Amino acid sequence: MAAGALSIKLRCASWQQLSTIYRRDLSRGAMFLKASTPPTVGTEVRIDLTLPSDTVITLTGVVEKHVVDPARGSGVELRLAPIPESSVWLIESALASESKVRAKTDAVGGAVPVSTTPQQTGVIGSLTDGEDVALAERELVAALGSEVESLKKLNPFLVLGVGYEAADADVRAAFGELTKRYHPDRFARYQSTDLRQTAAEIFILIRDAYRKIGDEVSRAQVLQQLGRTPSPRAVPNPRATPPPVPRPPIKRPPTADPSAPPVARTGPVATIPSHQPERPTPNPTVPLPNSQSQPVPSIREQPGPPARPTPKPQMPPEQRPVPNLQTERRPVLASPPPLDSLDPSQLDDMLDSGRIDDALAAFKVLSKKQPTDRTFRAGIELCEGLRSLAQRDRLEAAQRFEAALEIDPSNERAARELAEMRRQATNERKGLLSRLMGKKE
Amino acid sequence: MSRIIGIDLGTTNSCVAVLDDRGQPEILAGADGERTTPSWVSWTPQNQVSVGIRARRQGVTNAAATVFGAKRLIGRKVNADDVSWFARLAPFRIVAAPNGDAWVRVNGQPISPQEIAAHVLRRMRAIAEEALGEPVTRAVVTVPAYFDDAQRQATRDAGTIAGLDIIRILNEPTAAALAYGAHRASSGRRVIAVFDLGGGTFDISIMSVDNGIFEVLATGGDTALGGEDWDRRFLERLVDEIFDKHRVDLTTIPMAISRLREACEEAKKQLSTQNEATIALPFLANDHSGAPINYDRTVTREHVEGLTKDLLDRLEAPCLRALADAGLAANQVEEVLLVGGMTRWPAVQATVERIYKRKPSKGANPDEVVAAGAAAYAGILSGDADDAALLDVTPHDIGIRVGDSQFAVVVPRNSMLPVRARRVFATTAENQKFVSIELYQGESTEVAKNRKLGQITLDDLPPGPPGSVRVELVITVDVESLLSVVARESKTGRQTTVTIRPSGGLSAREIVEIIARRREETSVANFPPIDPNSGGVRVTTREHMVAKPDDEE
Repeated sequence: MAAGALSIKLRCASWQQLSTIYRRDLSRGAMFLKASTPPTVGTEVRIDLTLPSDTVITLTGVVEKHVVDPARGSGVELRLAPIPESSVWLIESALASESKVRAKTDAVGGAVPVSTTPQQTGVIGSLTDGEDVALAERELVAALGSEVESLKKLNPFLVLGVGYEAADADVRAAFGELTKRYHPDRFARYQSTDLRQTAAEIFILIRDAYRKIGDEVSRAQVLQQLGRTPSPRAVPNPRATPPPVPRPPIKRPPTADPSAPPVARTGPVATIPSHQPERPTPNPTVPLPNSQSQPVPSIREQPGPPARPTPKPQMPPEQRPVPNLQTERRPVLASPPPLDSLDPSQLDDMLDSGRIDDALAAFKVLSKKQPTDRTFRAGIELCEGLRSLAQRDRLEAAQRFEAALEIDPSNERAARELAEMRRQATNERKGLLSRLMGKKE
Repeated sequence: MSRIIGIDLGTTNSCVAVLDDRGQPEILAGADGERTTPSWVSWTPQNQVSVGIRARRQGVTNAAATVFGAKRLIGRKVNADDVSWFARLAPFRIVAAPNGDAWVRVNGQPISPQEIAAHVLRRMRAIAEEALGEPVTRAVVTVPAYFDDAQRQATRDAGTIAGLDIIRILNEPTAAALAYGAHRASSGRRVIAVFDLGGGTFDISIMSVDNGIFEVLATGGDTALGGEDWDRRFLERLVDEIFDKHRVDLTTIPMAISRLREACEEAKKQLSTQNEATIALPFLANDHSGAPINYDRTVTREHVEGLTKDLLDRLEAPCLRALADAGLAANQVEEVLLVGGMTRWPAVQATVERIYKRKPSKGANPDEVVAAGAAAYAGILSGDADDAALLDVTPHDIGIRVGDSQFAVVVPRNSMLPVRARRVFATTAENQKFVSIELYQGESTEVAKNRKLGQITLDDLPPGPPGSVRVELVITVDVESLLSVVARESKTGRQTTVTIRPSGGLSAREIVEIIARRREETSVANFPPIDPNSGGVRVTTREHMVAKPDDEE
């Protein structure tokens, strides 16, 4: 469709409503849209009409003229393009069955109240809903899209989130978990085909990774290509070697708070009382579903107060105690080794145990000593990113991780953190969409 | 939230199910309490349609206008071997549509199998609407795993004609496994084989079930082998016997052949549990002297088994190939699940046991398990069941024609969906200007024996000697088995893209015509008809509409 075309979601909550729309609008090939700032004549409009049974019928039309109706306010009239016969038939046969079913219940029950003004019920709410849903869907597509990008940078082990020493069962279990999350069927209930396609892209990446390391022989090959031998030291595996801290490297505990920092990198963690932290800056690649603060240009006129409360787009970080990390004073291991004599595994240990400030200092020292070594410069960016993440500055964190990868594409920790951030962003948006659609998550 | 129904559209019987409030599949029964509906459609001389058991009852008295087994014809050409076999003994006429598709002729009118299937689908929908008390517009419909794209699309078209939005076509064995595995506690990974021998088709699927993930490892089968073949073999023998004895060819007498067919099927069912059955058909026909033939014969299971031995043999090859495709040995299959009425036949069970070296399970009701699985899948798609996922595969190799007649596979069969595969091809001629890439689906190395899916042409190729110009072909098959193809020339980057819309034989126009006829027939008097060309009258509504600019489209 041409740029500038309008997209409208219209959900019929009841068959009665559909019947009204059918009689008044569809059967005459026209539609009235209420609009406070009407689009210009000739604007193309696409309407996704959702039936009470959740079937979606797409109508297209063109704004024909502006009208001002004394009773209903100003609006536009659309001339609808011919509706496909099969869609018409779908509506008609559903309405026919509905009237049959209703006639039957009327005959049996006798006292089923039939609303005399069905067209006034629930429309406003569901329309607002439709708009939010459309927005949330687009944001989910964007989030999934950036996940595709970050997954493409990962090796199969990182895609699946398993350690290099993982066994067949670990790989299969990880694949199964991700499948339940990303299989396109999981997105079948949403109207956006983009969603399904993007999910399919992710699933193809996941499946390819599974195929590459799903059995022992091919896994050994991949390990060889990566220049590794299966060693428990490489990346701590959540299953094989439970790390001393409760945080597995990839799978974070499913916290409902999307912007919470990765929990408990250190042993003792101070908890600060819930105050009002700044709202995290939206990450440009994965914009926050902040439909409240982004007034969408609209031709809508909100008739009075909203019919029902708009669902909160984001579970507020400000409502839960936030575990505070590196910025607080905390017990440190007695006498840390001199910074410039650290070897990479010690740095890994530091990061594993959440001593990001120490690691940052170490990377800085090392980088000064060996300015040509990309590993250390990337390490600095990584640590900065982790710090930003701890302060819930996700935009900054994402940029830092990306910078780390830019400097040293083999920096797994950065790649993993980035992928994980994207995954969380997806989950948030999925959750939002589910809430908007009134489904359990 | 409105529910999505699951329909098992069978060759002989159909069944509909829905997930109940606790997320368990529930079979929906018709007005008389029937849980399955015969996939039969009958027309009176006045063209009144009846469906299901009522149609089946007319099978004897109104044989020429009573159609069954439409699933054997849907999306098929009339000259396919099994279609002509089916036609020979069918009491109704099977004719060729202009495009060579197999249609039937009833009361002088040609009718597509899609339309017949639509009648059955509409009945299943009505049963669901009665039971649920609300209109139903969305369904998951099952087909044999081995159905090709034309047969699948034809089934979708049948749904459109029935006013149903078929949100997904699901493979029958997969559905069965889903229903079977859904109510079982997860106890690690299990490899199961689903052996599905229904009225008209045979499917074998090897699957793994692991903690809610249903993964199809391999699938195979024979779209033209089913219980009706047993009936037919038996029927043919009896027809021959009668001809030898009385010199009367029953195949020319629709009513007699229908009675005999019914009796054969009944006898076969009895023989599944007994060793003997009696067929008694008084006044079956008249011989040449005008005297009535009172047919009375006792048959033994052994006799029928002898007649159908070669059918059993046809079961073995697909089973072995599926095992090979899955990379498994027979003893690695931990359970064999039987689906389809014909698996009640003892010799079939014995064959299964011989192939897999273990006794098959008979836990589930083979007539209902597929519909239950379709309902379970509907639950996954609607988000009601979120701890399960289904990983299905492409049933056939997909590839292109290379050289004159060879078939180069790009997406091998049994690839997990969605899938994307690449292959690079080279030009064959000096300064070749364009390549025409023809896509086929099938197993044969000879391209002519496979089914053509579509074509894509890439032109303006850079000049060069043969083989110097490389064309990369990328084929993507999505979860709904829809194909999109990108052909790209490596040097210039020039590319074309095509999404292949499978054809089920009916054109969009024909479907619209059938729907228009149906709209006329159906009482939609309550609703003014939509005239697509109208637009003179404007009516405003009280609906408050919200619109907003949408830059992304």
